[in-house]
Amino acid sequence: MPVKVHFLLEDLLVEAPAGTSLQRIADAAGADITFGCRTGSCGTCRVRVAEGLHHCSDPSPEERDFLQGLDAPPDQRLACQVTVHGDVAIDYIGL
Amino acid sequence: MTTLDTLLHDKVLLLDGGMGTQIFARKPTMEDYGGAALEGCVDLLTERRPQWIREIHESYFNAGADAVETNTFGANPLVLGDFGLSAKAYELNVQAASLAKEVARSFDRPRFVIGSVGPGTKLITLGHVGYAELLASYRVQMDGLLDGGVDAILIETCQDLGQIKVAVRAAREAMAAKQRKVPIWVQATVETTGTLLVGSDISAVLTSVEPLGIDVLGLNCATGPDEMHAHLQTLCEASPFRISCLPNAGLPMNVGGQVVYPLDPAGFAPKVLHAASEFGLAIVGGCCGTTPEHIRALAPGVAKLNVPRRAPKLERSAASLYQSVTLRQEPAPLIVGERTNANGSKKFRDLLALEDWDGMITLAKEQQKEGAHLLDLCVAYVGRDEVRDADQLLGRLVSQITLPLMIDSTEFPVIERALQRSPGKCVVNSINFEDGEAKARKILDLCKTYGAAVVALTIDERGMAKTREQKLEVARRLHALVVGEYGLDPGDLIIDPLTFTLGSGDEEFRGSAVETLEALKLIKAELPGVMTILGVSNVSFGLNPASRHVVNALMLYHGVKHGLDMAIFNASKVLPVAKIDPEDRRMVEDLIFDRRSEGYDPLKAVLARFSDRKATLVDAHRTDLPVLERLHRGILDGEKQAILADVDEALKDHDPLKLINEVLLGAMKVVGERFGAGEMQLPFVLESAEAMKAAIKRIEPHLPRESNYQKGRILLATVKGDVHDIGKNLVDIILSNNGFEVKNLGIKQPIEAILRELEAWPADAIGLSGLLVKSTVIMKENLHFMEEQGLKVPVILGGAALTRDYVEGDCRRSYAGAVHYAEDAFEGLRHMQSLVAGDISVPAPATAASAAGDIKILKRGGAAVPLTEAGQSSWVRHDAPSPEPPFWGVRELTDAPGDLFEHLDEFALVRNRWGFSQGSQSDEAFAAVLRDKAEPQLARWKARLVAAPVFQPKARYGYFPVRAEGDALRVLDPTDRERTLALLGFPRQPAGRRLCITDFFRADATDVLALQLVTLGQAAADHAARLYREDGYADYFAFHGLATELTEAYAERLHARIRRELGIHHKDLPGRALFAQGYQGSRYSYGYPACPDLEGNGPILDLLRGAEIGVHLSDSHQMDPEYSTSALVAWHPQARYFSV
Repeated sequence: MPVKVHFLLEDLLVEAPAGTSLQRIADAAGADITFGCRTGSCGTCRVRVAEGLHHCSDPSPEERDFLQGLDAPPDQRLACQVTVHGDVAIDYIGL
Repeated sequence: MTTLDTLLHDKVLLLDGGMGTQIFARKPTMEDYGGAALEGCVDLLTERRPQWIREIHESYFNAGADAVETNTFGANPLVLGDFGLSAKAYELNVQAASLAKEVARSFDRPRFVIGSVGPGTKLITLGHVGYAELLASYRVQMDGLLDGGVDAILIETCQDLGQIKVAVRAAREAMAAKQRKVPIWVQATVETTGTLLVGSDISAVLTSVEPLGIDVLGLNCATGPDEMHAHLQTLCEASPFRISCLPNAGLPMNVGGQVVYPLDPAGFAPKVLHAASEFGLAIVGGCCGTTPEHIRALAPGVAKLNVPRRAPKLERSAASLYQSVTLRQEPAPLIVGERTNANGSKKFRDLLALEDWDGMITLAKEQQKEGAHLLDLCVAYVGRDEVRDADQLLGRLVSQITLPLMIDSTEFPVIERALQRSPGKCVVNSINFEDGEAKARKILDLCKTYGAAVVALTIDERGMAKTREQKLEVARRLHALVVGEYGLDPGDLIIDPLTFTLGSGDEEFRGSAVETLEALKLIKAELPGVMTILGVSNVSFGLNPASRHVVNALMLYHGVKHGLDMAIFNASKVLPVAKIDPEDRRMVEDLIFDRRSEGYDPLKAVLARFSDRKATLVDAHRTDLPVLERLHRGILDGEKQAILADVDEALKDHDPLKLINEVLLGAMKVVGERFGAGEMQLPFVLESAEAMKAAIKRIEPHLPRESNYQKGRILLATVKGDVHDIGKNLVDIILSNNGFEVKNLGIKQPIEAILRELEAWPADAIGLSGLLVKSTVIMKENLHFMEEQGLKVPVILGGAALTRDYVEGDCRRSYAGAVHYAEDAFEGLRHMQSLVAGDISVPAPATAASAAGDIKILKRGGAAVPLTEAGQSSWVRHDAPSPEPPFWGVRELTDAPGDLFEHLDEFALVRNRWGFSQGSQSDEAFAAVLRDKAEPQLARWKARLVAAPVFQPKARYGYFPVRAEGDALRVLDPTDRERTLALLGFPRQPAGRRLCITDFFRADATDVLALQLVTLGQAAADHAARLYREDGYADYFAFHGLATELTEAYAERLHARIRRELGIHHKDLPGRALFAQGYQGSRYSYGYPACPDLEGNGPILDLLRGAEIGVHLSDSHQMDPEYSTSALVAWHPQARYFSV
């Protein structure tokens, strides 16, 4: 089942198989998201899931702990830790 | 009609100032009080000198106060009893209230009277007065105030949590009796120590008072407004009640024997107004040392204040006398210590029989140390007076224990006495519907009166609920009663879906654990907000201690996964799931999930397996095990010292080659599997490797000359232009300790050198490593080169910037030999194992489509952002003026190593550099790993490094005038701006925002560029190299990670200084957020996504004259010594990280 990922910053719409990691999708499509450590501990790839938050995998413990440390609202995620299971729209924060 | 409540909706309420201050200003004489015996009885002056009190009220109303407090601070029978005036208490309260009301009515706009209720002179928590006596005393005062017509009751200057609860109850009961309801306000007094007199912090006050449903919770007395900020902040964030604040006129000072308050009206007012707008205060006024003039100074500002709008967030919690503990622990579960329970602990029962109260308190304290969050307390012992025992024990316990209590009894009088004895917020354990609802209702009345949460068991008239459906059904009914009817917050309802033992083999209970786990899930889903609890150890009742630990640990683990919030558990026996032997785990999980099959009964299997095992948890007594088992364990536990004796013993009757191949390598295999399953942390893996290395060294002299236990050979190198060797060294450690022969060529290795080595030392594979983005390109070029040479030797690639797609697509297409991607050292090991096992097949390169996993671009939005005439991205705005640096040119700094720890990103260090990751462990097990391993490790290193001269931090930084020219920055000479010092070129994004670092600097005027360079010094690099050489793998790895993060911390520290100097530091975020670019501007280092080319380091080092602090550029453009880093700092608000 393909899902659609919409990168809002550059209006880039990508199709990928359900269960693909957002990092792979962003890399393959050349989306304007900067990754740092890719292990969920630097926060460079922080995004806001503008739509379809429930289509994203639950945060890994690492991601949960990291975001909690920043007091980030629940719609913010680390792109390197998310896999998508349905259509989503992604806004890059990159803080 | 304007009521107090409607006024509070319209404005911030201004209360009066000090009463005592005004009375004492009139210098009352013995005559005024009515005799020597009555001297100091201020409350009596209402009767004897009513004109004074009237004048004081008038002066405050005239100053602009909306309400005044009655002169009844001590007007209760207990306090008045000291003057023999107990009997006058009711009357004095009526008089004082009526008098104040009379004055209030003489003003034409709405004025109100607040009934002041002071703390009295006896502390209930310390046993100075009994509950019933204090309640009766306050009841008289409340009756009088209400009959005198007060508009609100203010329980103020509170020093004791227990007293607050009694006074609130007295007010409620008086109102119920008189059918007249007025708001109840409570004000605590937080001393300069940060707590109430008895030691409670403000969170404990909030948690304990919140269930009582009052109207205002604020602060008064003890300090001036400034000292109250932290406590007001806590209330502002969490309190659901309006906040009041009546500070003293500053911290009292003793001047020549006189108490003097330092803040005059002009000094006081702005501080209170600031606090009001900062913390959302609804009511302000003054306390000791404040006068009508202070209130007059406040009035105009208060009139201008907006009615506060807050969105408080209160975590459901329990509280001891001292502190509040949130019920939703992260990581879950909250542990309720079970050893202070006469039903469960023989030790406790024996102490109770001896009435050894101190012994019982010691037992309670032990649980506190072991990590319990709450204490279950049960003193039910047949033949003893349970009420008396609860009274005796709690009277001593509550002031000695910082944990909140769970009152474990089903007896109404016991629960009531215990709640009267406990000043904080307790949890009552428990209610159920076994005999219908009547008893539950009685207990819930107590919970309401004393403000307690409640545990509710899924038991009804039919008995204990056994199926998930029944459990849910009873839970729904409990919810309807407790939340629906009694109005407790759902978070104060803690449902226990019951655990039955799996140890009996009773057919009826075989599936009981599954039913309980599923019920947890259903309850959490259907009844939002409620909490769950289990008496976990019941599940293993009847089994032997060794198996109980394992069964309990796994039941807890799966409980949490199914939504368990709290567990009654012996905190010292929490066994991390990762430490459980996999076979034990499989068998016990079969038991929990009732996975029986033909000829297999997990219960029998567990009984047999654990039958002769002792309950020694993880540190089984070594000498009890057979020697080979000890060796296996020594590797798993990384016992590099202890393992040597075991090796010596094993060598006596075992073939040395066999020891290596079967025992030691077998154990390393388990290590690899556990690491792969996320059950073992990298630092522990390294300890295992060290133990392996030590063991092999010991065995090697015993090996027959010709024997070779090596399985294969690999050449390892970090590619040309890259100095990063930690990843490659990890691979070396893992491979060489898993039976492979490794030749580690080091860093910056050109392919020609690697291939020369290969000729001299034929290997089964080449491993190439590199951290930089650029290294991924070098690897591909290397493969091209090898292809041209006609080579076929397999190549394994690893490194942070590589992706599987890139290796299996692009890289494989470049080379005819096998090319493999290794995500970590163990994947590298697996590749080596299959290579030497004869799998020489060359995997086909992934095609572009399949490599990308069928990722298709459907639409790439409109045209890229246009560039401006100056060649900059028009996405960046230049509307803010450039900041002025404090100086132009370069300066040097030296810092103490200890200073760097201040900016250390501990999260990145522990999780990323040190590789502590949760994997499949439960939250609680991982929290234990962090607490017991990671944190002490960091503390040890810090202590070591701050003292030793390993780090010699030095830095250079400076400010340069600069101008953007398209994709380049022209750096000008600060002393002669016509002169160009350097022209720095940067890449630009090809599409999208089309960003380039130069865009964050002005093209139309001179801007400011900050440059920075930090180093930990040569000694740090030497130290790392020495650790590696000496096989201190775990130390080497830990040191390297720490030094790398401290380099980053130093850069962060210097960057913070630059922001301060440029005046853009006010955007800095607090805490961890700072490490995630939580500041204005950005810091770009070469080699990272916005400027990947390391060549840029050259000009930066030249501009900063890095050589003066010993930093040079290597031939691959990296900084030498290691643990140095440089950066360009952009101040522009839109400057963030991006990739080109």
